[in-house]
Amino acid sequence: MVSILISSSEEYSGKSGLCNGLGRILKDRGYSIGYMKPIGNLLIDKDGFLTDEDAEESRTLLGLDDSLSDITPILQTENLIHDALMGVEKRFDKTLTDAYSNISRNRDIVFIEGSGGIGSGAMYNLSDPEIASILGSKILLVTRYDSIYAIDRILCDLKLVPDSDMVAGVILNEVPESNLEKVSELVIPYLERKGIKVFGVIPQDITLRSVPISDIVDDLNAEVLTGADNLNTLVERYLVGAMEVNSAIKYFRRVPNCAVITGGDRSDIQLAAIEAKAKCLVLTGNLRPSEAVLGSAEEANIPVILVRGDTMSTIKRMESLIGRARIKQELKIEKMMELINNNVDVDNFIKSIGL
Amino acid sequence: MLEKMFNADSVAVIGASRTEGKVGNSVLKNLVNDFDGDIVPINPNSEEIMGLKCYPDILDVPDNIDLAVIVIPARFVPETIDKCGRAGVKSVIVISAGFKEAGIEGAKLERESVETARKYGIRMLGPNCLGLIDTTSNLNASFASFMAHKGNIGLMSQSGAICTSTLDWADKNRVGFSKFISLGNKADLSENDFLQELCNDDSTAVIAAYLEGVKNGHEFIDIARRVTGVKPVVMVKSGRTSAGSRAVSSHTGTLAGSDEAYNAAFRQSGIIRADSLQEMLDYIRAFSSQPVPKGRNMAILTNAGGFGILTADACYNEGLSLASFDESTIRTLRENLPPNSNLYNPVDLLGDAGSDLYAFAIDVLLEDPHVDGIIILTSPQAMTEVDKVAEIVADKVKTSIKPILCSFVGGTQVSEGEKILNDYSIPNYPFPERAVASMRALSTYNNIRKQSYTKPPEITADKKTVKSVIDEASQSKRLSLGLESLDILRAYDIPTVKTKIVKNLKEAIKACKQIGYPVVMKIVSPDISHKTDVGGVRLNLKNADDVERAYHTMMADVYRYMPDADITGVQVQEMVSGGKEVIIGMNQDVQFGPLLMFGMGGIYVELLKDVSFNVAPINRDEAKHMISSIKTYPILAGIRGEKPYDINSVADTLIKISQLVNDFPQILELDINPLIVLPDNQGCVAMDLRLTLREEE
Repeated sequence: MVSILISSSEEYSGKSGLCNGLGRILKDRGYSIGYMKPIGNLLIDKDGFLTDEDAEESRTLLGLDDSLSDITPILQTENLIHDALMGVEKRFDKTLTDAYSNISRNRDIVFIEGSGGIGSGAMYNLSDPEIASILGSKILLVTRYDSIYAIDRILCDLKLVPDSDMVAGVILNEVPESNLEKVSELVIPYLERKGIKVFGVIPQDITLRSVPISDIVDDLNAEVLTGADNLNTLVERYLVGAMEVNSAIKYFRRVPNCAVITGGDRSDIQLAAIEAKAKCLVLTGNLRPSEAVLGSAEEANIPVILVRGDTMSTIKRMESLIGRARIKQELKIEKMMELINNNVDVDNFIKSIGL
Repeated sequence: MLEKMFNADSVAVIGASRTEGKVGNSVLKNLVNDFDGDIVPINPNSEEIMGLKCYPDILDVPDNIDLAVIVIPARFVPETIDKCGRAGVKSVIVISAGFKEAGIEGAKLERESVETARKYGIRMLGPNCLGLIDTTSNLNASFASFMAHKGNIGLMSQSGAICTSTLDWADKNRVGFSKFISLGNKADLSENDFLQELCNDDSTAVIAAYLEGVKNGHEFIDIARRVTGVKPVVMVKSGRTSAGSRAVSSHTGTLAGSDEAYNAAFRQSGIIRADSLQEMLDYIRAFSSQPVPKGRNMAILTNAGGFGILTADACYNEGLSLASFDESTIRTLRENLPPNSNLYNPVDLLGDAGSDLYAFAIDVLLEDPHVDGIIILTSPQAMTEVDKVAEIVADKVKTSIKPILCSFVGGTQVSEGEKILNDYSIPNYPFPERAVASMRALSTYNNIRKQSYTKPPEITADKKTVKSVIDEASQSKRLSLGLESLDILRAYDIPTVKTKIVKNLKEAIKACKQIGYPVVMKIVSPDISHKTDVGGVRLNLKNADDVERAYHTMMADVYRYMPDADITGVQVQEMVSGGKEVIIGMNQDVQFGPLLMFGMGGIYVELLKDVSFNVAPINRDEAKHMISSIKTYPILAGIRGEKPYDINSVADTLIKISQLVNDFPQILELDINPLIVLPDNQGCVAMDLRLTLREEE
């Protein structure tokens, strides 16, 4: 039995995606898989039981039947934070090893997902390297390659790991198309010369950043006026329609798979969005659109949703939604597996963790 | 094609009612009042209405029905059309509302209605309309409150209320119509069908339309181009401003469309655009009663100097000229008019002029070969015989082959004259400017009917290359293309700048050497559209040192302005100097398809908005018109002794772009900004390109 802790340089770098993607790939290869996210920081209520959102989703996606309290034994509640600040001794290493022994029973490999960045949890002595030490896991570092400064982060993060043998290697995620050549020609050789194994370079993928309209509806607490059958459609970007109508058509046409946010009283912009084949219309200010516009949206099969908030607050919510989307649809997990299979040296990864 | 709709022998009213105030009652009453053919009311709850045998269902009617007028709630309409189909009815008018204008359920019903009608080959007017009137066949299949007067104006309107008001106005002013059509939601029959119908209709001399949008822009231009060669077409298109277009959108659920596109489409197809309902009614009255002038030279005849001057100003503003009279005209006028009269144009008969003097002067002016039309002004002064002048005008109009328009200005005192003119179907314009504008409309039509349309030249191009560039972009899901796709222009033989896209400084220096100094360097990034705004353009780099410094500072500047932009490299290109910058653009218009734009380039372009538009495809005349119709055209043509620039090469480029965007409708937007026009005979060079592709389904 082996375990691998998936850590990262920053939040939203794709830890969950990799846990689930790699997990499914190894499962398909016949390995028995376990999963833990020791510290829960995205608290949700699951059937009257407090747990972590990632934990719950991964349990479903990986088809696990472990108890949620084993998958996520420690929840970052206000009490926890208060106790830590007051210096109350908690013996988390015991909690952790107990849960781990339950999860790892009869398993070939356990994926352990970090919470946030590599240093998250340090105030409870549970940063990613500390957890890896307690459980004897190796660390796989995922870093979002947004600029050349990603290299600084990788090097700095790895210095936090006390023993370089604990590091399995790194995966560069969300690498922009235009940087792929530079990364493979310069960055990988550089890291490997420093003794850092690079298992893969995953290019940016728009599907993974996208959200289904149903998520937008849930998050904005929106009313669906038409197009209820089309809420599974994925939206990649959102655009704000506040300009003159002819400019709006040009603007909307340039962006595929977009949702358009505009006021309920802007019938011209709404029709421009329909004309430009936007995927969804988000109408703000709780202003119902004209019936004639709804008729056109229905004909074009485009969902129209109505929200109470004004345009500004709606934009804020959308911003936090798109690009930080979660991998919970089957479509997305399949895309993630495809990306891993095409861009990550899975065999080498398996070998290096001693599986 | 719509013969049986206008000229039906038998009409059924489905939803006929005996209850006063109901639409089904009004429609039936209108038919009963005027129509000579068979009228069949359909209503399951009555056996007889207005003395006519009533059937419960259209399928129960034993005789053949040509036209069914449907006035029942929307939800029963699709089923009823199906029954009409089974009963062999070929034309229906759906007056009922509650369709697309009323929302989702209505939109479904409208779709179903059209599909059902198509299944049986039924043509449908409406829904949500007032109906139609044909004064030739005495058919009033509408719920208008009375029958239109007979006349030669064919009018259609997308607004039922404008129909009602126009009818009422026409009644007061004794204006008559040949056909009167309320278009409603245009679910099946639209302006295109009725334009053709009215063109073929001998009783129609002029076609008028109030539209909020057109259904099929391309077909519209083709049809209108043919129709305007036969008879004049005057249209009002509303929703021109942002406020108006929003109102159109929420009212009809369709986009009002860009006003530039409508202006271009109307001009290209010979439609006379009226800016308001009043203008349209003014113009069509002129067309309805007057011949078209052979030229733009007008005579003004007045009994008041002030009105003469106002009218002369108005003529100038409308692009009409005041005729220079023939010597004999002046001689005759001098011999016969009072000593202080003005004999030159405007001819002033003075305040005490009697009707005889008017009669004499009108004859003399009509005789003058330099006069193409007369505008007669009358102010009710002490000696003026307004009624007699009106009679004289009416008499002259009968035989004149030149247009005569009147403006009797005043109130109570001129009303008698106005009434006489109305009785003879001659318009009186309450103010001279409106008479002049109407005269200008007549004169514009004189040019329109003389125009002959030549098809755009066929250009041989390397379409394979364009297709492969577009296919490659679509496959990698790129919708916005830039300089990397200059091959598209080269494939249509449009000269392009020598340029290279490179990834780093080393390659940049190598490329500059190949191209030859001085060079221009620009940032390449899918996220940056206005390169200058983020410091992404460096001009006139003379050597490798310049290039190196420019490269580093440009990268730093761009990072400062747009830290998240994805930089894919830089582009180096030759410096082209000694030319003028112009812009050629294209945008797929919602109604009319590719709309070409031409304008002067440079940084003031957005402020000046000095641009012209045409709907593609365009021929050489249209290309040249686009170039010469911008205000800054003299700069290109050579101002104050400057040499002219190569305008022909710009016209060539416009024609080539016109063909390109027609060949590849997946190009939604295209901009060559700038195109540098070199001095005469030296051609032009495309310096930059941006285009947007349609997302593949």
